Amino acid sequence: MAKFAKPESIVNTTEYCGGCGHGIIQRLIAESIEELNLQDKTIGVVDIACSYWSLDALDYDMIAGPHGRLAAVATGIKRVRPEANVYVHSGDGCAYVIGLSETSYAAIRDVPITMIVANNGIFGMTGGQLNLATTLVGDKTVSSKAGRNPDTMGHPVDMLKSFQNYDVEFLARGALYDVKHIEQTKKFIKKGLENQRDGKGFSLIEVLSPCPTNWKLDPVKAMEKIKNENEKIFPVGVYTDRGGVQ
Amino acid sequence: MAKAKPNTELCKGCRLCVGACPKQAIIPLEEVNKKGYQIIRVDEEKCIGCGMCYKTCPDCVFTIA
Repeated sequence: MAKFAKPESIVNTTEYCGGCGHGIIQRLIAESIEELNLQDKTIGVVDIACSYWSLDALDYDMIAGPHGRLAAVATGIKRVRPEANVYVHSGDGCAYVIGLSETSYAAIRDVPITMIVANNGIFGMTGGQLNLATTLVGDKTVSSKAGRNPDTMGHPVDMLKSFQNYDVEFLARGALYDVKHIEQTKKFIKKGLENQRDGKGFSLIEVLSPCPTNWKLDPVKAMEKIKNENEKIFPVGVYTDRGGVQ
Repeated sequence: MAKAKPNTELCKGCRLCVGACPKQAIIPLEEVNKKGYQIIRVDEEKCIGCGMCYKTCPDCVFTIA
């Protein structure tokens, strides 16, 4: 028997760019769901963005919501199928910019869903535009050619801190730049799914993920950028854990 | 002992596994697969089957068995 092997739920090749963090996130989701034995109850919600690829790759019931409105779609699924394990795999453009209202109100209603948000500081699928919530000051994108200027474009926002104002179950941020942090991220994702299984509230796990294609860096340098720059602005760790350590 | 078995047809040439390997057993090659990405080779002499490459790889290239 293999010590480590591709999760059985991943039935197709992943079509992400080389070195993309979404591939790792997708595997962590599949591993966590298999370890909790929730395969048959799972309904995944993906965005019309990079996470759309996991619709083909994963062997779960999946739906692609209107762009950005994943938290609202997942809320609807959870309301009519309360026994289902509903997870959202989205990016930061979807959850924090276009769908900020939907994400916020899912959190305010404390809907028991699990949201996994890849924070790569850019709009990936559309070609690398500035993301007002997560692009770092000075980062060059196709819509900020000279780098993000805080005088006209503002500063990046730690969205988990703003969601801390709401009464939610679990908020945490993980990273993918080394094996230690990948393992930590998997624990967060698993905890989010367990919260849902146990009928607790809204869980959101943000993952600092690289986008080598649009950052115009090679994948190894993109991981170093997360370690040296992004993690300083977006610290890794647990932000809210209502259940807490008993 | 368990060894890493790469399916290099899935590889996308990101090289994240090369730095993650604690024994420097993963060798980047210039050879390309069908998709046109530069692939890697595992030095079985050095491999200890720890699974770090499996955990780092975004494309599920590795099986540790």
